[in-house]
Amino acid sequence: MTPTDSSPPAHAEPDAEAWRRALQRFASVIPHTRELGLEVVAVAPPEVTMRLPWQPALLGDATRGLAHGGALTMLLDTVCGASVLCGLPSPEVCPTLDLRVDHYRPAVADQAIMARARVLRVTDSMVFTEGTLWQQPEQPIARGIGNFVRLGPRNTPPGFVEALFAEELFTEEQGHA
Amino acid sequence: MPEGFHDVAWLERTRAQSDVAAWLALVPYAQHIGIDVTQDPRGDGLIFLLRPQERNIGNVLLPALHGGVVAAFMETAATLDLMLAAREPRLPRIVDVSIDYLRTARVVPTHARCALLREGRRLANVQVTAWQAQETEPVATARLHFVLAPPQGPDA
Repeated sequence: MTPTDSSPPAHAEPDAEAWRRALQRFASVIPHTRELGLEVVAVAPPEVTMRLPWQPALLGDATRGLAHGGALTMLLDTVCGASVLCGLPSPEVCPTLDLRVDHYRPAVADQAIMARARVLRVTDSMVFTEGTLWQQPEQPIARGIGNFVRLGPRNTPPGFVEALFAEELFTEEQGHA
Repeated sequence: MPEGFHDVAWLERTRAQSDVAAWLALVPYAQHIGIDVTQDPRGDGLIFLLRPQERNIGNVLLPALHGGVVAAFMETAATLDLMLAAREPRLPRIVDVSIDYLRTARVVPTHARCALLREGRRLANVQVTAWQAQETEPVATARLHFVLAPPQGPDA
């Protein structure tokens, strides 16, 4: 593990590991993804890679052992939304405007689902992203296109950026849930 | 083979009884996020319900439901509604989904109603509307394409 004394201050240009920890904190504060144990594997702004460990709650067809398509949509929404945070000049709260998911092949039980998303374009009002899921390399199971709305710094709560990059502020949040 | 979606007799029986709750019980992720189904008291359609649960939250600041959980709710509703509305027992397999988020989904009961816009021999198009306080103020709409496979049909 990287020693904590190598962490940059919140307003410095965060390195890849600082971003990974920040987005892991983001995933661990969201109740739905915290309960599913979603992991942030790597961040190279504006690209994010996540890993969803397998668990039976993800099943859609238990007889055949296939993941629920909606769980895949949830993962794409999450990974695309995380890429938005590191694709902006400074993280803002950006709700999903719309999401399109193409299902290429089913995700099967007992294997983690990998997710990678990146920001393609940022404008004054929008952030355009795309994401891909896979279990085996070179065999995508789903692809998503997510567009996110920039509400602007005015609608981003004070301390949002600091909270992403500061352990202690979110530790409290995690504790009460 | 135990009862389930791939047991043709069971599928035909539950369809004849409109027992969509029996289908829901076999979908673990639908159980995880807390989906129920009821008959529309004012019509002959189904209304699906996503129970408000702490585990469905995606934004702790507002708080609001996870958009992906709302999408999974709508996909589940579309799949099961289609299984009941289709001309014969078939297992829908999702091809693609497009969802528009119209309003913040608060952590309160969320409802969904589906419309089967087209049922071909192999493909179906389903539209879903999700709302909270009032159906006239949807929180999200979705459209989905499914391939219709016969029960116990080959993978593809």
